[in-house]
Amino acid sequence: MSVETFVTDKAGLQKFYEAVMASRETYAPVEKFGKFDFKRVARVTECDPESPIAKTQSIKPLFFPRSAKVMKFVATSAGTDVSETDEDPLAVKRAILGVKHCDARSLQVLDKVYNWDYIDTDYQKRRENTVIISTRCDRADTHCFCTSLDYDVENLDALDVLIVNGSDGKIYIKARTPKGESFLKETVTGQASPVTDEIASPDLKKQYDAFAGSFRLKMDYKEVNAKLSKIFDTPEFENVSGNCVSCNTCAFVCPTCHCFKISDEKVKDTGVRYKSYDSCNNGYFTLMAGGHNPRPVKYRRWRQRAMHKFVYYKERFGENLCVGCGKCTIACPVNISIFEVVNQVSAAGVQE
Amino acid sequence: MNYTKEIQDIAAKLFAEGKIDVFVGYRVNGFDDNQVPVLITDPQDVSKLVFTDKSVFNLVNYLKNDHTRRKRVGLVVKGCDSRSLNLMLTESQVKRENLYVVGICCEGVVDEAGQKMQNCTDCMVPDAVVSDELLGTPSGSDTLSGSYKMNADIAMLAEKPLTERAAYFEEVFENCIRCNACRHSCPLCYCAKCCIDQETATLYNGANTTSGAFHALMTWSLHLAGRCVDCRNCEKACPSHLPLHLLHKQNESVIYENFQEHLAGVVTGDRGAFYKYSLKDPDDFIM
Repeated sequence: MSVETFVTDKAGLQKFYEAVMASRETYAPVEKFGKFDFKRVARVTECDPESPIAKTQSIKPLFFPRSAKVMKFVATSAGTDVSETDEDPLAVKRAILGVKHCDARSLQVLDKVYNWDYIDTDYQKRRENTVIISTRCDRADTHCFCTSLDYDVENLDALDVLIVNGSDGKIYIKARTPKGESFLKETVTGQASPVTDEIASPDLKKQYDAFAGSFRLKMDYKEVNAKLSKIFDTPEFENVSGNCVSCNTCAFVCPTCHCFKISDEKVKDTGVRYKSYDSCNNGYFTLMAGGHNPRPVKYRRWRQRAMHKFVYYKERFGENLCVGCGKCTIACPVNISIFEVVNQVSAAGVQE
Repeated sequence: MNYTKEIQDIAAKLFAEGKIDVFVGYRVNGFDDNQVPVLITDPQDVSKLVFTDKSVFNLVNYLKNDHTRRKRVGLVVKGCDSRSLNLMLTESQVKRENLYVVGICCEGVVDEAGQKMQNCTDCMVPDAVVSDELLGTPSGSDTLSGSYKMNADIAMLAEKPLTERAAYFEEVFENCIRCNACRHSCPLCYCAKCCIDQETATLYNGANTTSGAFHALMTWSLHLAGRCVDCRNCEKACPSHLPLHLLHKQNESVIYENFQEHLAGVVTGDRGAFYKYSLKDPDDFIM
């Protein structure tokens, strides 16, 4: 695969961003109440593509919306009439700026489940129509552990265009996929000059090494996978989930959680059916129509969360359902860390 | 404000005397010096307990938790926390005889940036109003009348024209992601089935639309009108950093002005403004 690299500076990068925004619908982190969320932007000044990872929501809602219309209906005493909803507003050609590597990776993980027994065409359409432009972090945050998981952060191919802050104010713009390459042909004009891999690589490597060296959290995911799969019945889950308040926000901010619920919004006879996020930490998540609930207590729900991320998904799709972004820990009102939970539980070992 | 030693001693004594099954307190995070709640069941672990001005979270939330249900619980409460505990007692959610309450005469707690929390600067009830044991020197500010401070944000919003206020709150509702973390982290939201969780209802639905968020947050704030104790657990839990206190403080100030200076949970057994009806009740504050 031939890939092209360009080198530019801060002003050139701004020009590149402007060219991206001119070429197609662009989404980027926009600040509100001190938190960044990906929103449609028209000007570079509105957004911050280098928003701090700890304060940025994931890009998941751009592919799996927080609430998606499933169908419209008219329900009267004469019967029910069901119709397609309006066209998907997100299925247009677009680019996302300021995507974090962990977020980009989460799409690769989600692809597996969305291409499984049911092919989600809306998701597919959004994936195909989106160019992901990712700026590599310069340093890890307190709760980051992406380098400890089962993907190659340095050579990640989940992103189409990679932007790296090199030495001496140099900024590299590199295509990572054929899609990214043709996108760069469109958008990189005079502001950046091509550079050979021999020149760029050492600088990229140096930046990555500095980034990889800044991690507080490190673990061996293989060990965690192996140990967790054997300790379903350990009482340690009860200890680690002790101070959880079951607020569910971890699943809502998680870039890989994909459970949803169905609800109707109805005015008189007409209504819309929505598919919205749900969380397995919810007490009624597994509540059946007959009243039986297989996970009535918190530690069982936490066990499901940890096991799904590091055992079940791995067994079924060969990937961890965690990308090490630390968003759940940051959002958690009592700072429960999935990293600590899985490590503490697997360290407790098999109970005889 | 540091009662680490005292709380460790009290917890150890309670476990030794067999008076409690679980002690709810705070421990240091492990990765920075902020604190998180901890539920201690093993007397060996009491050395983990701390209490300083970083002990922010309202622990009364844990009384509606799997880990404390039908158990004898020891817990630490600050002024605001004790008011929510008072309401839990009044509303028959917990039994007083199952609790051993360590009250704190609170001097105010700080947020993650080290700034004194805004609710602490406005606080009218710093001393725990329910306790078996009170730590610290009572501030003596139990004469409440006349000292009510209008919340600065509410005062600022009140000056703005209605359209600007509406635009501001529209932004709040737009940025809500409907995770309901605010509700779950609230000590007084204990309903087993919440009205905003109904899947088929016509009025409420779980969808993340601006109208859905409006319904959910407004219903929530009205259910807490005259009950909210301004502990800010909801704001701490909100992943979008929404200024949720505005919804509650507005109600609080209206109720304080119109219903005999009523403040939620200060008096045990007082069921609050929403439970008492009189023909003489004022209604001129309703839009």
